[in-house]
Amino acid sequence: MRPPSLSYTPGLLLQSRGGVPFKLGLALPLHQRQQTQAAAQSRSHTIAPPPSSSSLNAEEVSHFSALASSWWDPYGPSRPLHLMNPLRHDFIQRCLASSPTSPSPSTHKLRYLDVGCGGGIFAESAARLPTTACVTAIDPSSTILSVARLHARRDPALSPPKLLYVNATIETLPPSTEGEFDVVSLFEVIEHVDNPAAFLERCGAFVKPGGWLVLSTIARTWTSWVTTNLVAEDILGIVPKGTHDWHKYINEAELRAHFAGRTAEWGSPRVMGVVFVPGTGWKEVIRSEKIGNYFFAVQRK
Amino acid sequence: MDAVIRKRAAAYVCRSCTRSQRQLRRNFSSAAPRPDIYDVVCVGGGPAGLSLLTALRANPVTAHLRVALVEAQDLSKLRSWKLPLDRFSNRCSSLTPASALFLDKIGAWSHLERDRVQPYQEMQVWDGVSDARIEFDWAPGTAPASGTTIAYMTENLNLTSGLLRRLEELGGVSVFDNAKVENISLGEETEGLDLREWPVVHLTSGKQLSARLLVGADGANSPVRSFAGIKAQGWDYERHGVVATIELEGQGWGGDQTKIAYQRFLPTGPVAMLPLHGNLSTLVWSTTPANASLLKSLSPQDFTAMVNAAFRLNPTDLAFMHTQRSGHVEEYSWRLEHTKYDSRAIPQIATSVQEGTVASFPLKLRHADTYIGERVALVGDAAHTIHPLAGQGLNQGQGDVQSLAKTIEYAVTHGQDLGVHMSLEPYLSERWAANHVLLGVCDKLHKLYSVGSGPLVPLRSFGLNAVNSLSPLKSFLMNQAAGSGMKVF
Repeated sequence: MRPPSLSYTPGLLLQSRGGVPFKLGLALPLHQRQQTQAAAQSRSHTIAPPPSSSSLNAEEVSHFSALASSWWDPYGPSRPLHLMNPLRHDFIQRCLASSPTSPSPSTHKLRYLDVGCGGGIFAESAARLPTTACVTAIDPSSTILSVARLHARRDPALSPPKLLYVNATIETLPPSTEGEFDVVSLFEVIEHVDNPAAFLERCGAFVKPGGWLVLSTIARTWTSWVTTNLVAEDILGIVPKGTHDWHKYINEAELRAHFAGRTAEWGSPRVMGVVFVPGTGWKEVIRSEKIGNYFFAVQRK
Repeated sequence: MDAVIRKRAAAYVCRSCTRSQRQLRRNFSSAAPRPDIYDVVCVGGGPAGLSLLTALRANPVTAHLRVALVEAQDLSKLRSWKLPLDRFSNRCSSLTPASALFLDKIGAWSHLERDRVQPYQEMQVWDGVSDARIEFDWAPGTAPASGTTIAYMTENLNLTSGLLRRLEELGGVSVFDNAKVENISLGEETEGLDLREWPVVHLTSGKQLSARLLVGADGANSPVRSFAGIKAQGWDYERHGVVATIELEGQGWGGDQTKIAYQRFLPTGPVAMLPLHGNLSTLVWSTTPANASLLKSLSPQDFTAMVNAAFRLNPTDLAFMHTQRSGHVEEYSWRLEHTKYDSRAIPQIATSVQEGTVASFPLKLRHADTYIGERVALVGDAAHTIHPLAGQGLNQGQGDVQSLAKTIEYAVTHGQDLGVHMSLEPYLSERWAANHVLLGVCDKLHKLYSVGSGPLVPLRSFGLNAVNSLSPLKSFLMNQAAGSGMKVF
């Protein structure tokens, strides 16, 4: 899970709360995101560092604790992400309920794979649901995973085997677990990867037939296009390196187009647009997926 | 120890046997170092605490939670509470239809002794100084479809024993009654777990309960609130509420079908006569501590004369009678001859007071700065104490519980840790401001009517008379009182 990108009400400038794990307490405006992007790239799946086995020393632990207090501080820079989390569950419930071939928690409890889990905001909450069997949460950054693991120790309900953190990328996950998961989630992740099409392909392989691939991201908007004075491009697969983060935002129509070419494997997408209203939090707004943050899901046939 | 409520099964084991069982288990648990972890530990088994646990157990979404109740008193006394229909406990509350609806939803309403619950349909409120009056009766065509009941007079013990019966029917609660909280600390870090933000309730028995969420339903001097470091603002009114169960000469001017609540504002505080079953009523008389102790010292005959005087005589006569140690019966009948009043607009004549029902308690206003902390929530009197003049205290507590139970349900369905501050935020935002407005309104009403003379008197009388003659405004206010209309707060 990457730091949340969010657009406030339509018509306002895009803003990012990026860099949470790296820049404590800073909310970065759009023009400062380059360095965050560089950091994110170094951790993205295409050029992921090999998972390192971490033996913690005292200095690191205190360092991670400091990071944890920011990632998990509901009044810190991650607050919008915390506020968004319940909507992810609402969306997933809606997806599951929309199709009779969905896995049903009444017959068996659900298995989740959370890709790019970050500090574990979604992974923890999914593991706590009474309808969940287990959650496997992966992230290429061992630094962030240490934060996640430290935080999960605070709740006995998350003890193994309910929640498992793995320092891995989707490429390094064992192929034996392909097709094993009822829900594969990529929250605020896809805008940080260099080849989204290949990434989606890979993640999709882990979804059980009848299960759902669920993601959330942010659209490139007309407003932000004007403010940054850049020409919109077809992002999928053609973003050159070193470009601005904004270029990697993916529009809902582009995701639709991607899955429209794969109807043998995937059902028709479900979408929910959400808008962040300062002071009250996230609100579902019909058709706002064209403007800002949105959820997107497809069911595996 | 954890006398898990089983459906009545425990009732067949004699108390000494259960006691030795308890002792045995207690020793066992103190040997085991692993913390005894609960999702919700509720300290306080009053109306708020019991209805919170009942709401959580009755809802299928939250029924799987591991919950515990810690109560200082022996619940077996409450379980066996029983009074004949001509005797009533002196601590009664006026339950709004909104509260009754909630109690019904959690399955508790049907467990109350229903013939001891008295609905009333009208209110008469007047100014003791100027006689300005507002009559809350339903003019033809103004009665809401949901019914004309303004509120239900209920003995607090009837409510709590009904809630306890419902809770026992539901089962699954670890009950620690007769249990004193020795202290509350924070948990520890062990190899696999970091419980340093989890409250641990230490009972004098040695038992320790770790709480994902610790609920303070432990009254105005809440130990849970102190543990959480939450301050409560407010003041004492230097008034005491005198309560008693009164027998009237009849069933009331509206008979058995239309019961009427009466409240007269005196400069020393409001005096209210609220209808119970048959010809009984409950008295709530807010007055100075000195007057209160005098009233408590009177013979039943003199006390009854003072109650009649409080609704009839002018404030000067009444003040004089408070200076007498005895002979109120004669003094009252002599002064009544020289007083004009409309006997149909006030309660029927009080004929006697039930033995042992005269009591008093100090009146306070308190409001906690917040209702939530990390893994802590306050409900009911632990969160706020209100002047009883609008009969809202217990209803506010039920409103808190309804909101907190809903907040917990949302947390469960969305995988949130139900104890953390963030998950509890909706409860705070839903309840704090609403309660604060109501606390303020009742406080201002109290102050407005404690003025015995001067320009405020005609002004407030004008206000009361004006409201009384404006029927749309009046029916709006009545709908408010009945909790059925659109919400002001």
